[in-house]
Amino acid sequence: MTELLLKYPQMLFDQGQLVLASEWPAWVAQILFVLMVVLISAMLIWKRNSLRYWQLAVIGLLQSAMVALLLLILWQPSIMTEQLRQGDNVVALMLDTSASMNYSESGSTRMQQALTVINGEALGKTGQQYALQRYVFANEARSVDSFEPLPAPTQQTRLGEAVRQVLSMSRTRPLGAVVLLSDGAENSGSLTREQLADIARYGVPVHTIGIGNERIPEDLELQDITLPGQAMPGTLLTARVAIRHDQPGVARLKIFDSGKLIAASEIQLQPATDVTSAWVDVPVTQTGYRDMRFTLDPIADEQVTENNSLSRVVEVREQKYRVLYIEGEPRWEYKFMRRALEKDPSVELVSLLRVSQNKFYRQGINNENELAEGFPTDRKTLFAFNALIIGSIEAPVFSAEQQQLIYDFVNDRGGSLLLLAGPNGLGKGAWGNSGIADLLPATLPEAESGFVRSRARAVLTQAGAQSPMLKLNQDPVENKRLWQELPEIADYQAIGSLKPAATILLNAQIEQSERPLLVTQPYGKGQTYIMATGGTWRWQMSLPSEDQRHETFWRQLLREMVINTPDRFSLVTEVTADTVRLNAELLDESFKPERNLKLSAIVSAPDGGSTTIEMHPADDLPGMMTATFEAGQSGLYAIEAISRRNDEPVESVRVAVHHDSGKAEYFSLRKNQALLQQLADATGGRNWSADQLDELVQTISYSPAGITEKKMYPLWDAPLLFIVLMLLKALEWSLRRYWKTI
Amino acid sequence: MLMLNVNMNATAQAQTPAPDAEFAFSRAYYTSGNPVTDGYGQGRTQTWLTDWPEAESHFIEGLSRLTRVNTSAEGRVVSLLEDDFYDYPWMYAVEVGYWNLSDLEAKRLREYLLRGGFLMVDDFHGTQEWAGFMTSMRKIFPDRQFIEIDPDHEVMHVLFDLNNKVQIHGLQFFYSGRTYEKDGIAPHWRGIMDDAGRLMVAINFNMDIGDAWEHADTPYYPEPMTALAYRFGTNYVIYAMTH
Repeated sequence: MTELLLKYPQMLFDQGQLVLASEWPAWVAQILFVLMVVLISAMLIWKRNSLRYWQLAVIGLLQSAMVALLLLILWQPSIMTEQLRQGDNVVALMLDTSASMNYSESGSTRMQQALTVINGEALGKTGQQYALQRYVFANEARSVDSFEPLPAPTQQTRLGEAVRQVLSMSRTRPLGAVVLLSDGAENSGSLTREQLADIARYGVPVHTIGIGNERIPEDLELQDITLPGQAMPGTLLTARVAIRHDQPGVARLKIFDSGKLIAASEIQLQPATDVTSAWVDVPVTQTGYRDMRFTLDPIADEQVTENNSLSRVVEVREQKYRVLYIEGEPRWEYKFMRRALEKDPSVELVSLLRVSQNKFYRQGINNENELAEGFPTDRKTLFAFNALIIGSIEAPVFSAEQQQLIYDFVNDRGGSLLLLAGPNGLGKGAWGNSGIADLLPATLPEAESGFVRSRARAVLTQAGAQSPMLKLNQDPVENKRLWQELPEIADYQAIGSLKPAATILLNAQIEQSERPLLVTQPYGKGQTYIMATGGTWRWQMSLPSEDQRHETFWRQLLREMVINTPDRFSLVTEVTADTVRLNAELLDESFKPERNLKLSAIVSAPDGGSTTIEMHPADDLPGMMTATFEAGQSGLYAIEAISRRNDEPVESVRVAVHHDSGKAEYFSLRKNQALLQQLADATGGRNWSADQLDELVQTISYSPAGITEKKMYPLWDAPLLFIVLMLLKALEWSLRRYWKTI
Repeated sequence: MLMLNVNMNATAQAQTPAPDAEFAFSRAYYTSGNPVTDGYGQGRTQTWLTDWPEAESHFIEGLSRLTRVNTSAEGRVVSLLEDDFYDYPWMYAVEVGYWNLSDLEAKRLREYLLRGGFLMVDDFHGTQEWAGFMTSMRKIFPDRQFIEIDPDHEVMHVLFDLNNKVQIHGLQFFYSGRTYEKDGIAPHWRGIMDDAGRLMVAINFNMDIGDAWEHADTPYYPEPMTALAYRFGTNYVIYAMTH
């Protein structure tokens, strides 16, 4: 339509600029217009006949518009564009040759589809107008004279890096545009926001042509597994599994520990989403680095099964985690919690119990001096613990500095905090107005709100039923029954309104209503909990002595509280394709950055060989040290980071990672339309569908890069101008007829 | 569950008051408190009721004053055969030389102790009453060892340092002139431990701590004896609530 009315395609107007081509200056036209308006007004008033003033005004406006249009035509309106000069410019043609391009869809591989596009009319025309410089790319770009023969498929796609290389290599040439054919299955993390901005700075439009399908119904992909990196032996971990799929159904997941099947479950794939997330239980028993492999059974007609498996490493260790429990009065909850934890090899409960007005009784201490002065007053002492439990004791017992210390313990150190109900606990203990109020998952009510010795039944919430710490049995039905049959707790305390990030894990059923009993929320680096009772001891005293539900509850709750608390010296890995990045954080005993030590990492490969690499400050992660290495082998990599002072080792930390070399191409198999669009948008190019390339060559011509020339496209004879002129005159004539003045 | 009326009619049964505090002084009611005649010719009926109610009412006051234990103002009498027996993890049993527990009572008391309950036994003396105590204790724990509580044991220091191991005598001292009763000349602080080495039965043999509590306001009963009895009782409570 644009071309019919204005002579030229819409693209010209998008790219060009409207100018007046007449040699006469524009101000002459403006003066003429004013004079004509005055003349029209005077004539209309002089010969107004029987018309009213508003009718005269309408006629005047129409005539003025006609004059304006005529003046515009006389001054020769035109579109001025800057276009690539034909024959002088280069267009880079990039072809993705990574392994994912060999995926077969609708009877042909993606590579065959791409070659069809390359040999098609659109790129043929492009080749006639510009010099085509051909590149193949996967993990890096390489200039080729022809796409025949193709290089061997590469097990990595570094799309952003490849584009940057092409732009960099073409700096000395008049590169007008880049045309990139790819499925967009980038798997190196190289197309970050920073890298996009870097590519855009070259000023060369990148036109992307997407190859492949965005939906592959016959493929399941195990997209991600989130599993804690550390665990204690004999615990049940919960893994979050994300499965990419394009049709609903059932996926069967198996979990292997170092090759031995340890769990299996069926996951319903939801119809309304492309990615279904589910939680599955992973029992860990033996100590050491456990190589956990998660595998989805293939579905019918599934071509690629390599993306059905992922591995994660869990370090199972008998580490002692220390928990500090301060209690304001002798209580049965205190006694029975201590007893429940006594046999737990992983949790060491250190307690301060106010037995008389000014006397604290200490249990679980390492030596007679530990906590001799009472609750810690410095970061080093408190931060040596992984979790803190505050029982029935008033907030004012703690100084403002100690309350700040508790706040920092959760926020900075990443410790867990549990508040228990009691006659002097929670709101009654004025914790709602204390320096740690912000940490808590509920806004505790005023001090007068009470603690009642009324029995209540603990009821699992939906979130609680999913939580590993509340699993008394792995079977969900049996677990529910075990909870339902628990005796009532001895007491309950209202905790006020919950904060937005709070999760209720247990409710207390009191008569017909349910109120929050166990609530948690993340805060800063840590996690906080409120247990609105001091009466779970009834579970122990009311059930047969061999029943372990009370012990299991407290052991699992405290293990959950401590297991994810950060260490002072931490080492984590990030795997992108075959590159492993190490990020280490080293803090002093107050959990403040340790800046006087150097770090190196010893990497032991699956074949037994080892290398030492120096770590350096990370530019993108303040306070972290980093290093990378290439993982060329498949298997378990053991890494040990060692801190040194004056070349003397101080301490070390270890981590392991399982890597499947060369598997990256099987993941993110679907065409990544969003990424291709993002690349085109960032550079001023367009993302094209492979079967709609008619405008490609013309679009390329409007590139601001390369060698360009200015072109003028006159508009004075555009049909639209004359149509409007006739319409204005016809309207005036019609009005005059209607008003009977002609 | 039984609650006694003011004229000590031990068989009068009533509803136990609802828990109003963390700790309640709970006196064990065993059904076989048969009439016996003690060595002084005094007939007794309910042996489990000895020193009630002054013993606990005095001790409760002391415990509340000396510690942070949230204590019920009234003691409880708890039957070994009732369901809420397990709601009182600290239990006081008296005159256990004559308690002669039934099989069911022994079974329930064993279970109570294994779950984490604590039992303090008191006021039995001499060879014959020890044998009576042992007969029932062997029903509860046929194989478990009885030990003399070491002076360094935590129960002797958990709040008060109880290094002064003198025989806490009953009121009979003022009639007999002897601190001991029958042939129970030497006092013994004995105990039965659980599998983790925690004290679960505190045995005060050849002593009458209950009398010392009961006669805290008796003008001629020696105050140091009462004070010591308070301290022993307090340590037993604190130990039971911490171990």
